[in-house]
Amino acid sequence: MALLELRDIWKRFGVTQALSGAAFDLRAGEIHALVGANGAGKSTLSRIISGHIRPDSGDILLNGARLRHAGARDAIRAGITMVTQETSLAPDLSVLENIMLPRIAMPGRLDWRALRRQAQALIGEIGQSEVLRPDMKVSELSIGQRQLVEILKALALDSRIIIFDEPTAALSPHEAEQLFGLMRSLATRGHGLIFVSHRLEEIFAVTDRVTVLREGRIVASGLATETLQQGELVRLMVGRELQDIYNRGGRSRRRTDGAVVLRVNHLSCPPMVRDVSFEVRAGEVLGLAGLVGAGRSETIETIFGLRQPVSGTIELDGKPFRARSPRDAIRAGIGLIPEDRRGQAIVPDFSVRENLLLAHLGARSAVTLGYGTRGAAVRALLERLELPERRLLDANMLNFSGGMQQKVILARGLVLAPRLLLLDEPTRGVDIGTRSSIYAMLRRIADEGVACVVVSSDFEEVIGVSDRIAVLSDGASVAELPAELIDIEKLGMFAAPRSSAEKTHTVLAELVARYGGTAYWMAAEGGRLFCFDRVGDDPSADPGFVTGGFPEIAATAIAHAVGAPAGALHRAADGARPTLLVPISGKRGHSLGIVGLTFGRAPADFDAAAVTQYILAALGERRDAPNETRIEA
Amino acid sequence: MTPMNGPATSLTGQTGTAPRRTLLTLLATQIELRMSLVVVAVMAVLSLISPYFLTLNNMLNLLSQSVVVGLLALGQTLVILIGGIDLSVGSLVGVTGIVLGLSLHHVPMPVAFLFCLAAGAAAGLVNGLIITYGRVAAFVVTLGMMSIGRSLAYVLSGANSISGLPAGLGALSADSLFDIPVDFLVLIACYALCWWFLNHTKGGRTLYALGSNAEAARVAGLRIGTWSVLAYVISGLMSGVAAIFMASRILSIDPIGGQGLELDAIAAVVIGGASLFGGRGSIIGTLFGVFVMLFIRNGLNLLNVSPYWQGTAIGSVIIVAVLAERLLSGARRRG
Repeated sequence: MALLELRDIWKRFGVTQALSGAAFDLRAGEIHALVGANGAGKSTLSRIISGHIRPDSGDILLNGARLRHAGARDAIRAGITMVTQETSLAPDLSVLENIMLPRIAMPGRLDWRALRRQAQALIGEIGQSEVLRPDMKVSELSIGQRQLVEILKALALDSRIIIFDEPTAALSPHEAEQLFGLMRSLATRGHGLIFVSHRLEEIFAVTDRVTVLREGRIVASGLATETLQQGELVRLMVGRELQDIYNRGGRSRRRTDGAVVLRVNHLSCPPMVRDVSFEVRAGEVLGLAGLVGAGRSETIETIFGLRQPVSGTIELDGKPFRARSPRDAIRAGIGLIPEDRRGQAIVPDFSVRENLLLAHLGARSAVTLGYGTRGAAVRALLERLELPERRLLDANMLNFSGGMQQKVILARGLVLAPRLLLLDEPTRGVDIGTRSSIYAMLRRIADEGVACVVVSSDFEEVIGVSDRIAVLSDGASVAELPAELIDIEKLGMFAAPRSSAEKTHTVLAELVARYGGTAYWMAAEGGRLFCFDRVGDDPSADPGFVTGGFPEIAATAIAHAVGAPAGALHRAADGARPTLLVPISGKRGHSLGIVGLTFGRAPADFDAAAVTQYILAALGERRDAPNETRIEA
Repeated sequence: MTPMNGPATSLTGQTGTAPRRTLLTLLATQIELRMSLVVVAVMAVLSLISPYFLTLNNMLNLLSQSVVVGLLALGQTLVILIGGIDLSVGSLVGVTGIVLGLSLHHVPMPVAFLFCLAAGAAAGLVNGLIITYGRVAAFVVTLGMMSIGRSLAYVLSGANSISGLPAGLGALSADSLFDIPVDFLVLIACYALCWWFLNHTKGGRTLYALGSNAEAARVAGLRIGTWSVLAYVISGLMSGVAAIFMASRILSIDPIGGQGLELDAIAAVVIGGASLFGGRGSIIGTLFGVFVMLFIRNGLNLLNVSPYWQGTAIGSVIIVAVLAERLLSGARRRG
């Protein structure tokens, strides 16, 4: 019997039909993925299960009995908890208080000593006793650790059903691995887990079954993950081939030789932006990739004059530029499509027409409105965005779907014909159809010679839509590279926050301190090498690349070691650059990159096998016999 | 959560092509229309109850009475549109009146007017700067200014009323043009100007955008700081204008002048359909609000209702007006 069953769930928000007859079932001991594109209804469905919102109609059965929860608290009592990406923790309270928060809210006296014992036991159960202490303040924890506290909170409530809503959005690959391990063990102990995500590789990594939503309808119910192909899942989610959405139509990404429109040099605007550099050319789409909290939005807000930089320079068309306010930026030909549509873009009491012309108003210096002067431009834009003019102009924005709203906000940026367009999460909360037309629009804008910067947390989107990608991590640029050279996994490694990459960095630093030479963390694929981190600057041991570099392997100084058996020192034909490469694997055996060590002259006491063991022990999660594996390029 | 086939109200344009434009939707979208209906209804009821109500004399009297509170309500509308409030206007009428009275004894009348207006604008500027750039709640700052203004009025006047004002001052409210009092014409001119400002200038739309979503207005490059300050400056300035007309009517200036008028002004704006959260309201609505209040007060006087009961009546009107506004705008949103 199913642990949880949903039948014929309908839900509507205003004019948007979020769910149309959705059904779902969850068994004890399984991890069940709920997938779908942005706006497919997966969050709505999980929020219905967690009691945060109520369906318009439909049944929810828990252990076969009809469940009528009136709110999140009832759901928690019934053993259902949601672990969200935007954590619901009280940052000023301790780990213990947060874990036991629901208990504190209940009537009766508290036995703190018992609670502490219990919390300690729970932390032990998930194997975190060494790093997580009950007395730590939540505000001092990393995002990954905070998520653990959320999970502990669910466990303290004895929840049988735990919903994970995009839990990895702010996690490094390493932290995500840890989370998946924990999820597995929870499932083994009989919990039913719902995993909401749009990252395919994660779905294949951790789930048992998959239910796919598209535009509020179930298109595939409870398919066994093993039997699925990635392409098939994408087709189910999107309803067509993925390439179509990005409107490439077989066109290759261009490397334009247009003039540099924007150049950012060592921009700093603490605390979120520390050292960011990149450039964008006319006619190019630059993706600004990174995890949540990497400082991407803050970077473009600084360019746009919403924040004032502390140091670093911005050049617009080769001339120094500094916007004291958004008005300066708009007048200089910069458009911004902000991240938070409701909070930063829509004026709810204005008609669509006035919303569309808001930036025009901001840029205008005359006293009067001059809406008439933009009439032709507005009509042309509405036509291009497939927005019906007659139905739209005097209506209230809030009556429209997210996609429609986003198109109007996009039109607001375009009506002034900017030279540089900054788009922050342009497809958040937007249905798949509109997404595709927003991508098409973006392409056309770029083709017309506008320089575009797109910020997105969706790695797939950022790779799909960009010509080049600049990766940020913890407020600093780490790499800038052509989009066709990179995939989701490598992007994840570049984007890993310093806090989690620190472990690798420490190991690299220890190796250099002990043996000299240079140590680096990289990946090799398609004849190229991607360097995520490098320690040591001995010129005689230079491997031929620096952090953030992505040279062709043949052009590096360690080409001789790539393709040779791992776990041993390899010298080039002339005996130079002795190099040890050690591939690191995650629990599922997938690659977490390669750690390498290159010398000018290897120390006499260097024991390749022992060093390999040391690296694997420090960083690897699956300890393969190293000499069985070869490092493939 | 109406079903798909519900009335396609505000999704439709303003042209006649719109299907099913019911009276309710018209009422729900047009504040001015709604208010004019209310005014007509109130007038009808009052003229039925009292034959004196609709006489020319009574009407002219009401027009004159509307001037001072109308001027204050105009300034208050701008402030409430940006989501603020100005509690200091009544006290500022008091202190700017004293400035006017003291000046009139030393300088020519136009210069005295200038001093009076400058004093009001200066107080508004202080309010606006502290609220906008000091990020202190408007309620607190203007409450403080209310106390300061009244206190200064007593200090400057030595707690005595000022009389012996030049006869020319009285002409402002005694004269009439085409049988309409000049001061009322000034009020209408101010409202017309304000209507044009709010609907056809960048500054006016900035005030609406600011009250509706300040962050979006900022991102769009509007000068929200400047206009937020200016709203309070205009409100202070209108206190000065109100003080001039008040003095011209009674030809005597008392430091207690204008006391309690801030609440009448706020009430008029609220009855006129503005939202205290900002972003929604209209200057025409405010003018109607001023008259609804005056009519009711006048009607109660004509009916010989004890003045002690008038507060209850006006208070009920305010509450019912806001409640009705809520229900109607809810209907609009669901549309």
